[in-house]
Amino acid sequence: MTCDELYRRLTDHEEGVLDGNVCQEVERHLAECQSCHEIRHDLQDLSRLCREQASVELPVGVRRRIEGLLDSTA
Amino acid sequence: MTTPLRADGTPHPANREALSQALVDHGDRLYSLALRITRDRDLAADAVQEAFATALQRAEGFRGESSIGTWLHRIVYTKSIDLLRARGREAPLVDEDKAAPGSEEDRVGGAPTWSRPPDEILLGAETREALERALTRITPMQRLVFELREVEGRDTDEVAGILDLPPGTVRVHLHRGRMRLRGLLADHFRGAVA
Repeated sequence: MTCDELYRRLTDHEEGVLDGNVCQEVERHLAECQSCHEIRHDLQDLSRLCREQASVELPVGVRRRIEGLLDSTA
Repeated sequence: MTTPLRADGTPHPANREALSQALVDHGDRLYSLALRITRDRDLAADAVQEAFATALQRAEGFRGESSIGTWLHRIVYTKSIDLLRARGREAPLVDEDKAAPGSEEDRVGGAPTWSRPPDEILLGAETREALERALTRITPMQRLVFELREVEGRDTDEVAGILDLPPGTVRVHLHRGRMRLRGLLADHFRGAVA
């Protein structure tokens, strides 16, 4: 497996949708290629940074208006 | 309004009580979805409110083929785009990434690695701003898929259901978005440790 081939498969690999043989090739390449290993590390850091972002909450006023809408039709 | 019942007498899956529970269970995520599409708090609030009104009107047509949560997300998605269009704003969320597999998009290219010591990559204010800037430089669909998947932690099938795209297409957008962001953020992180 070349670096370009691995590059195209990294997300599918993490999503668990690759066939077993291809998955093994990806793992082997990552174990042997420092450059591709670092790319995966970067992507893992990117995912972690994103997960640390604050979640969004529906404003209380909007929630109450929707509750009112649902109640008014009871 | 009487609670709609199915012919066999069982409660309809999208009745008022179910929608009230869905507001509790999914309200924040529905608003988050609307906000990620509209980038406007007022429009996002309108989209969610209008979505519940529409869901009430269509309750009897809901067949329960998807979960009520997925159904509401689909309605919020549509409402958000409709509201953007009604206000004359572009809603460029079409599946516009036409790069063919194997094209330059899918090659390793010259983006340097982030090369930093362990624990150097932290979500401080500067990194948050750099990430926000980078997100404006990928396609709108890549951005939406990336945020739903990576920021909100939704699984690929759920994102596919919301956007009405095949899961494989979602993965292509996700992959290209991640790779572009990695490249766009390389200077930021290399600069941080220089």
